[in-house]
Amino acid sequence: MTARAFQYVRYRPSAFAVALLAVLIVANLIVRPDFLGPGQISPTLGTLAPFAIAGMASTPAFLSGRGGIDLSIAPLMGFTNILLVTKLFGTVLGGPEFAVPILLAIGAAVGAINGIMIARLRIPPVIATLGTYFVLSGLDLHLVPNPVTAGPNWTNHLAGSIGPVPGALLTVGAPLLLWFALRRSPYVDALLSVGDHDATAFSSGMNVDAVRISAYALGGMVAGIGGIALTGLVRSADAQVFTDYILVALAAVALGGTNLAGGRGGMLLSAIGAASIFLLSNLLTNLHASAYFIQVAYGGVLFIAVLLGARLLSGAAAAP
Amino acid sequence: MTVEARDDRPGAALSAGAAASSGVPEESLARRIWRTVPVLQILSVIVLLVVTGTTISGFFTKSSLYTTLILASFLGIAAAGQTLVILIGGIDLSVPAIISGANLVATLLAGKHWPFGLAIAFVLVGAAVVGVVNGFVTHHFRVPPLIVTLATGAIVTGATLGWTRGGQVSGSPPGWLTSFSSPIGTVFGIGIPPVIVLWAVIAIVMGIVLHLTVTGRRIYATGANERAADLSGVKTEKVWIGAFTVSAISSAMVGIVLIGFTGQGEAGVGDPYLFLGLAAVLVGGTSLVGARGDYWRTVLGALIMILFTTLLIGHGAGLAVQEIFIGLLILLFVGVYGREQRVRDRV
Repeated sequence: MTARAFQYVRYRPSAFAVALLAVLIVANLIVRPDFLGPGQISPTLGTLAPFAIAGMASTPAFLSGRGGIDLSIAPLMGFTNILLVTKLFGTVLGGPEFAVPILLAIGAAVGAINGIMIARLRIPPVIATLGTYFVLSGLDLHLVPNPVTAGPNWTNHLAGSIGPVPGALLTVGAPLLLWFALRRSPYVDALLSVGDHDATAFSSGMNVDAVRISAYALGGMVAGIGGIALTGLVRSADAQVFTDYILVALAAVALGGTNLAGGRGGMLLSAIGAASIFLLSNLLTNLHASAYFIQVAYGGVLFIAVLLGARLLSGAAAAP
Repeated sequence: MTVEARDDRPGAALSAGAAASSGVPEESLARRIWRTVPVLQILSVIVLLVVTGTTISGFFTKSSLYTTLILASFLGIAAAGQTLVILIGGIDLSVPAIISGANLVATLLAGKHWPFGLAIAFVLVGAAVVGVVNGFVTHHFRVPPLIVTLATGAIVTGATLGWTRGGQVSGSPPGWLTSFSSPIGTVFGIGIPPVIVLWAVIAIVMGIVLHLTVTGRRIYATGANERAADLSGVKTEKVWIGAFTVSAISSAMVGIVLIGFTGQGEAGVGDPYLFLGLAAVLVGGTSLVGARGDYWRTVLGALIMILFTTLLIGHGAGLAVQEIFIGLLILLFVGVYGREQRVRDRV
């Protein structure tokens, strides 16, 4: 029985993430039975949304392989948040029908610039996106040296509820729908094969550069959605708030079970990873643990998860 | 950066220059110099010195040059271990946590009337333990250093903040530590701030170890091709543990000398050093794929970052403009030479 469970998890790294999520949901319910109640669910999901989206946005870069990583996702979320509040709200473009496409296009464009630097100029991903990280966080600070409050607007519903439906279902659901649509197309297969071994993918006639560039553009576009969700949550334009999401986004991808070297994984896994991190800190907060202990526990869970993942994935090979 | 990436790099030992002229066996002298001497970085330091000196009045005074060098020392020492870690193909994200943690804990212990030398020893040993864990776990279990060091960094930050109740530490540094990091500090009566001398010593030792010793060859061998290094008898696990331990200890040293500089313990004092440290290593020209570069390049990288920041601040740039230009600087430098091979050249 254990052996079979072990085998099962070994071939499905997602199983660990799902099991962890289930355990954390149950633990949260024990500590606070009303945690999924009607009054709680919408704001809870609203707080979770930017974490989940940041994790999802970071995923395609990792999947594209060869050291793929996008450090600029968090400042890009901040950038779209700031543009929305300071440039779009109060103008004719402030409504969702204009603002959403504009912000997604800006996010995708920044992502595409990253992708072009990586695929065409052949700058290593960490460096290219570190460069955009600095440029974007500088721009963020330049645009709003001090936080600017946003008046009541349509994004508030996204962090709360639209009628009886939690708004976060829309912001988290949109990238997921997009991802599953792409999975039905040949695109995700192309992305995974490029990430697994780009030279082989190239030899079999794949346009490796185009796949890579679009992967970063996809991540950037999802970061645009993240900026909108963030605006709903913080109700202001703030150049500092994105720093909360930098490392959690990377951790969410790893915890979800996506292979950071590329070739295996997906956005849903990262959303699950982000939810686990969020639920862990939620649980500890409700148990009145100190903020510092929560950080230790978060590091510990990440550490154990990545160790277990390595053990399970490589089986006996990892043993000394 | 990850297991797969580390193992799958047959071309990593090739230089960018050789790759660009693949098929041509001979290398021109100009290319050879370009590849072996950090020409671009040296020129940049000179240009930055000239531009900063001529456009900002009072830059060429002893105190302001020393202040610049002291700031560069902090960055350079923080990036010393990171250079080794990147040379073997890893990355260490726990640097800022260890800097801040060492800074807080040493101050806390000083406030509890520990002899300061003992406090320093305690902090360095603690940091070394974190480094050993980082190196051992990433190597032994083949897990990405990015995530392992992210996790240990979070644990260190949480634990040290919890221990010091959110960074409330009342200790103050002993007089010698204050003058250690001060522009008017002296070494044996000679008017050079000791922290600059410390940096110079570290640079010389790192240079000797990397270029003239067996340990240095083992480090490069591990970074170039770990499997080949293993098979030729290099204990790569020791190399990994060693590199991460040096990184943790050099970070802790920065945390300690920063107490002397700011006069107190401060939560989050290490935060800027993660990305600035990486930038110093990369702008210097050490390559993220491993085995290319050395510490001299990081020294130049640290000088470039600090001079460039000084220049921007001197011309009234706020933090926002500084960050934008630092980002562009990184892209410019790496775009010029730190590029990878084409996919079609790796088939």
